[in-house]
Amino acid sequence: MSEQPFKVSVSDADLDLLRRKLDLVRLPDELEDVGWDYGTPLSDVKRLVARWKDGFDWRKAEEKINEFPQFTRDIEVDGFGTLNIHYLHQKSAVENAVPLLFVHGWPGHFLEAQKIIPLLTSASGEHPSFHVVALSLPGYGFSEAPTKKDFGLAQYAEVANKLMLALGYNEYVAQGGDWGHAISRTLAELYGHKYVKAWHTNFPFGTAPSLTKNPFRYLLYMVTPYSAEERAWLAQTVKFQQTGAGYNRLQSTRPQTLGYSLADSPVGLVAWIYEKLVTWTDGYPWTDDEVLTWISIYWFSRAGPAASVRIYMEVAKDRAKGTLGTRYSTIPLGLSYFPKELVRVPQAWARTLGNVVQESLHEHGGHFAAYERPEELSDDVRKMFAKGGPAHGVVPGKNGYA
Amino acid sequence: MSDEQPFILSVADADIDLLNKKLQLVRWPDELQGADWDYGSPLTDIQRLVARWKDGYDWRKVEAEINELPQFTRDIKVDGFGALNIHYVHQKSTVKNAIPLLFLHGWPGSFLEVRKVLPILTEASADHPSFHVVAPSLPGFGPSEGQHKPEFDGSKYAEVVNTLMLTLGYTEYVVQGGDWGSFLGRKLAAQYGSTSVKAWHTNYPNVQQPPSLLRFPSLYLAHLFTPYTASEKAGLERTKWFLSTSRAYFQEQATKPQTIGYTFADSPVALLAWIYEKLVQWTDGYPWTDDEVLTWISVYWFSRAGPAASVRIYYETVTTGEYHTLPWSPVPCGLSYFPKELVVAPRAWARTIGNVVFESAHESGGHFAAHEKPVELVADVRDMFRKGGPAFGVVGGRTGYD
Repeated sequence: MSEQPFKVSVSDADLDLLRRKLDLVRLPDELEDVGWDYGTPLSDVKRLVARWKDGFDWRKAEEKINEFPQFTRDIEVDGFGTLNIHYLHQKSAVENAVPLLFVHGWPGHFLEAQKIIPLLTSASGEHPSFHVVALSLPGYGFSEAPTKKDFGLAQYAEVANKLMLALGYNEYVAQGGDWGHAISRTLAELYGHKYVKAWHTNFPFGTAPSLTKNPFRYLLYMVTPYSAEERAWLAQTVKFQQTGAGYNRLQSTRPQTLGYSLADSPVGLVAWIYEKLVTWTDGYPWTDDEVLTWISIYWFSRAGPAASVRIYMEVAKDRAKGTLGTRYSTIPLGLSYFPKELVRVPQAWARTLGNVVQESLHEHGGHFAAYERPEELSDDVRKMFAKGGPAHGVVPGKNGYA
Repeated sequence: MSDEQPFILSVADADIDLLNKKLQLVRWPDELQGADWDYGSPLTDIQRLVARWKDGYDWRKVEAEINELPQFTRDIKVDGFGALNIHYVHQKSTVKNAIPLLFLHGWPGSFLEVRKVLPILTEASADHPSFHVVAPSLPGFGPSEGQHKPEFDGSKYAEVVNTLMLTLGYTEYVVQGGDWGSFLGRKLAAQYGSTSVKAWHTNYPNVQQPPSLLRFPSLYLAHLFTPYTASEKAGLERTKWFLSTSRAYFQEQATKPQTIGYTFADSPVALLAWIYEKLVQWTDGYPWTDDEVLTWISVYWFSRAGPAASVRIYYETVTTGEYHTLPWSPVPCGLSYFPKELVVAPRAWARTIGNVVFESAHESGGHFAAHEKPVELVADVRDMFRKGGPAFGVVGGRTGYD
């Protein structure tokens, strides 16, 4: 089916089931004075559940979501049939704006882009403008999920690329963090130069340069000591792996087992996602309604929340095969470093991700940069494609200026 | 209520009612075609179990059967934590000088794991030793109270069960356990080996590295020059499977027990899927009946402290470093090897676990040996303590024979 306009409209039956489940919530106890040490605190969960039951107005939240121009269309995926994909598509008033694909991750969603969209699409002679497409990845938001095994990075990239082509954007740039990073990197590897002209990520996670893969970088890396700051970054990364990565291992090995929890228990889903919304951001002042809107997109997602965590297992399989994420693409790459990102590696490592033409370091912000620091992230993206910028004019005929 | 009270398991009607209400409102995840066990607990299994749970499974009948076990509770004081009310099964043998044996369950097990071995262990005969058996519910499991403050580590669990034995008049005793019961057996031997613990036996020799030259020179040499047997090689494959693909639950429970705890407390399906996965994958083709599975899960669902409390032991023992630094003790130790255990160490590795005086290997059986292979397990324990056996007479005045 070709493009259809779309409005989020959760059924009354679904709202009713949620309400009935919230009325039956059974909470655990909690050890005294442990704060966040053991996971999401009970007082937070209680407060969020109480608000979800009484006060949070989903229909109002839905209306706000529907202020964004949304669509669905069928995308054919080799070996997987047709998936109906949901996306947000906001054009700029500048006709030759740069087409930009925003790719979310987990536990993100298409509306992570909501704050950068008005900034990126705004028309001005001072900076480049963008046409923005923000899709719901298959299995997220209001996109269909794949029904067969082995839907990996190549498939996510295929969907994203075909969507852009279907919208008439034969050449475009990509921006993403979390899975959006891995998928954008795959877009660069599979479609770089031909369709994808540049990419930017706020998740600059690369592995150490190796002699065989990046010989020049390796030699430079061997003689350049880490700064004290970079050593602290690595320590932060190790700490995350040791204390904060259980969800990753679980979703990478037993997504179905976890899926029953996410599908059946609204309070389980709240605790699971809210833990990330708080611990992965840099003091972002979430309001309860903001959190509940975010989680409701998972609760009411078209494929159900269990589908959203399978990507971890499928990509783990990809990585075991070692075929993707190994080729270096020469299309321009911009990196933004935010201090509360989950994994922080020395810049020498990040530079192995590709042809890095721009690096921006920030004092504030975490994992959900587009949502937490929209001005900073938009500025970084604009700088990259601005007149005089390192990726200016990469999309022929669409340099972002009138 | 400080002293021993007889205990009858009697779940409140309101609790059964809440469970039924929740089962009526289950919301299912989808599942990939042909997923089988690849992504976690299969949908067909969980749906079948829930259908039985809703209609056919009779908790009151199960409860009555459980209450055929002689159960008690008493307050046990724990240094720094006040008193916890501890539930236990206590069955004396008719043999006056029977050996006092502390049977320790693990996760996701329970005191019910003692059911099949209890009549055999306590059986009187001139041909084999007899035991008085005490099988507590660990703090936070089954009908035992859970701790309320953080840092209730392995030494505290050990203190609880040791104090219980002393309070029952068993100033000297032996220990048998798997899973956490194995960890605690080793801990008890180290903590109370010079006083009350005279020997310990485990069906889970959880040793994950070979002997080091410095600490175990003769075992190191034996290991160096003795090729692995076919069953040891198979054991290493099983161990590799477990450690590389099946340990996410451990990592999550050891880092964010509260977060995952919300799903256990609120969703019977979540709890069922989480535990059922272990019951199947950790056993050796054990023919679980649906009612058997539902009973194991119900013990968690209806537990006094709630199911979230049961996984705090992972956090406490791992965070303190205890889990990986258990000391060696000269207290006599017996090992039973079952091929489908989770960590199946070669003999040379396993013998570093303690002062190993007894070993027995089996052709079949898995992690829940007392439940899967009760006759074989008791035969091993009897052989360890019988007249002429390597641990005969360790408990003064209580040889197991009259």
